[in-house]
Amino acid sequence: MKKLLILLLLPLSLFASLNIAVTYPYIGALTKEIGGEHVDVEVLAKGNWDPHFVVPRPSLITKVRNADALIMNGAQLEIGWLPPLIRRAGNNKVTPNASSFLNLAQHIELINKPNSVDRSGGDIHPDGNPHFHLNPANVITLAEVIKDFLTKLDASNSEIYNTNLLSFKEKWEKKLLEWQTKMESKKGLKVIQFHDNLAYFNKAYGLNNLATIEPLPGIPPSSKHTIELIKLIKEQKPCCILHDVYHSTKTAEFIQEKTGIKIILMPHDISALDSIEDLTSLFDYLTGAMQ
Amino acid sequence: MKKILLTTALCATLVYAENILLPTEKRTFDQSKYIPDISLVLDTSYVTRNADPDEVGHFEVPGIAHGLLGSHGHDGATHATYNAKEGFNLNYAELILTSNVDPYFSMEGVFHMSENGFAIEEAYFTSTALEHGFRFKGGKFLSNFGYINVQHHHFWDFGDMPLVYESFLGMHGINEVGAQLQWTAPTPFYLMAGFELLQGTNEQMFGNETIGDPEDPVAKGATAPSLYVAYLKSSFDVGDTTFLGGLSYVYGESRIDHTEDEESPHAFSGVSQIYGADFLVKHYFDSYSYLKFQNEYLYRDMDGTQYSVDENVTVTGSTPLLKKQAGFYSQLIYAHDTNWRFGIRYDAFVKNEIVKNGPEAFAPDNMDKYSAMIEYHTSEFARFRFQYNRNNALYNEDGEQQHIDTFMLQANISIGAHGAHDF
Repeated sequence: MKKLLILLLLPLSLFASLNIAVTYPYIGALTKEIGGEHVDVEVLAKGNWDPHFVVPRPSLITKVRNADALIMNGAQLEIGWLPPLIRRAGNNKVTPNASSFLNLAQHIELINKPNSVDRSGGDIHPDGNPHFHLNPANVITLAEVIKDFLTKLDASNSEIYNTNLLSFKEKWEKKLLEWQTKMESKKGLKVIQFHDNLAYFNKAYGLNNLATIEPLPGIPPSSKHTIELIKLIKEQKPCCILHDVYHSTKTAEFIQEKTGIKIILMPHDISALDSIEDLTSLFDYLTGAMQ
Repeated sequence: MKKILLTTALCATLVYAENILLPTEKRTFDQSKYIPDISLVLDTSYVTRNADPDEVGHFEVPGIAHGLLGSHGHDGATHATYNAKEGFNLNYAELILTSNVDPYFSMEGVFHMSENGFAIEEAYFTSTALEHGFRFKGGKFLSNFGYINVQHHHFWDFGDMPLVYESFLGMHGINEVGAQLQWTAPTPFYLMAGFELLQGTNEQMFGNETIGDPEDPVAKGATAPSLYVAYLKSSFDVGDTTFLGGLSYVYGESRIDHTEDEESPHAFSGVSQIYGADFLVKHYFDSYSYLKFQNEYLYRDMDGTQYSVDENVTVTGSTPLLKKQAGFYSQLIYAHDTNWRFGIRYDAFVKNEIVKNGPEAFAPDNMDKYSAMIEYHTSEFARFRFQYNRNNALYNEDGEQQHIDTFMLQANISIGAHGAHDF
């Protein structure tokens, strides 16, 4: 019995690297980018499913329980699933007031903060739109915040984290210019979405979101709203429906049938589509899909 | 250094500036930011069944439970189980308050209000600062025994409790004042062990109070706390499928007082145990659609003495009584999307052995129940459920088995800030 216990506990003590639980794949990729071999990353949510709806399965409690630190997106994106995991984990390192807990949303200026908050308006995020990582310029801020966080947790490797940040920034700034050039001609383009999860991407490249297929955030499409949408599309002639990968495209296809509008699948995170393997390929794909 | 100074100066200016901008009323002792999360859950139903409403309260599960659809009393109020009345039922309005207490604890209060009165369903504090997977809870709470016991009624997939639970433990399950310690192991898969020390006042099966006149009792009470619960749970995922299994054990003193009953008043004194096993498989098709297969088996062993009493609560006879009873439920739920859910459930007793100076003549074990439901959710906050039950577990006073069909339309609505549920 004792042997078994030692065998089970051994792997935890052998690796001196930080074990960091993160909520979404993009945070995992950024943390790995800065932390390199000094961090082990456990991603809690799947990249191809709705980030609002993650099942707090018991295996995730174990991941949070064994973590040295936790990084979340914040702005209430995890409200439906992370609190029960933290509550059950019995790990004071991952409670929101701990120094080893990072809430990324606190470091980004959120947009679309609602003026009034009432459930009759659907599933509103009271602090503003939480999908801020889809503005590639924000990714640099996030990388800096994560670097500061890792340095605070593990000062002995601060030089390495700084070097990794600088090389990431260099690489990313080049890509930013490339994406900017690619999207230059798209400025002012009118688009439709299922849910406004590309708000930051649209703002970054001057795309104009006319409407969403869901009548209100989190409320499934209704025939009345869809008919109004078809009318709007015929009048305003938006270029396309930018559709997330996790909602059914059934309503979008119906609208396409009636109006001839193009449907473009827009991944929101790493592994949302098989070809999206890292942060660079995510934005390569998003900017490429618009062409 | 210069930078630090500059930042400090800047911060100071900002703070100063903000203070100037603060409206007069905010410069007082306002504590509104500390208001806990508050939510209110309403559960109401329309019920119709093919049984005489005057008789149905007296139907019993022979040897296992008295009047399942009758009323029971506690906390100074008497009330029936959920959806017991023909026609409209207001099952409850449940007020839930949660907040952190300080850096070390959080607290939750769940107050059950019905037309018959007010009950503290739960009021407990939980540790938030412990390490190494430990968690402590104290106060009144739902035991983590089995799978469904810890869940509130508004989170269940059916409007009524599984038959074996309600028959053994009553509609509140194991809901006691006490203390709980849980530990999640540092294993790569989920492994959790828990222990609870509880007061032990469950009216259906446990209890420690002296029965009858304390000077000359029918049965002497036991030292409280008198109920012990232990469990081990484990879970792992295979792809998009989660497996969760648990083993639970309950040991407690039993003092069951039926000396006030009009017909054949009696009392029971002894010790009781429950062995529980639960197993759940949940497969996710996508973010919104899943198939869930949920099963629980309970075996109980009650060993003691049964006393018959007359109307003056004087013992007229006593006999050793041993009950070995077991039952299970099995349910399959399919969530089509965020709007629609469908479910079926089968409840049955598989053992009903009563030894009372030799085996009890009347201890049927062919008692079961079938249920089916369809749910429509307009949002996460409102669900409407249509449920059908066929209950073959109840017997009338003449010992005739009843087959009761129940149709139920239930609305479960919540407002306010309600925390996310556990798995």
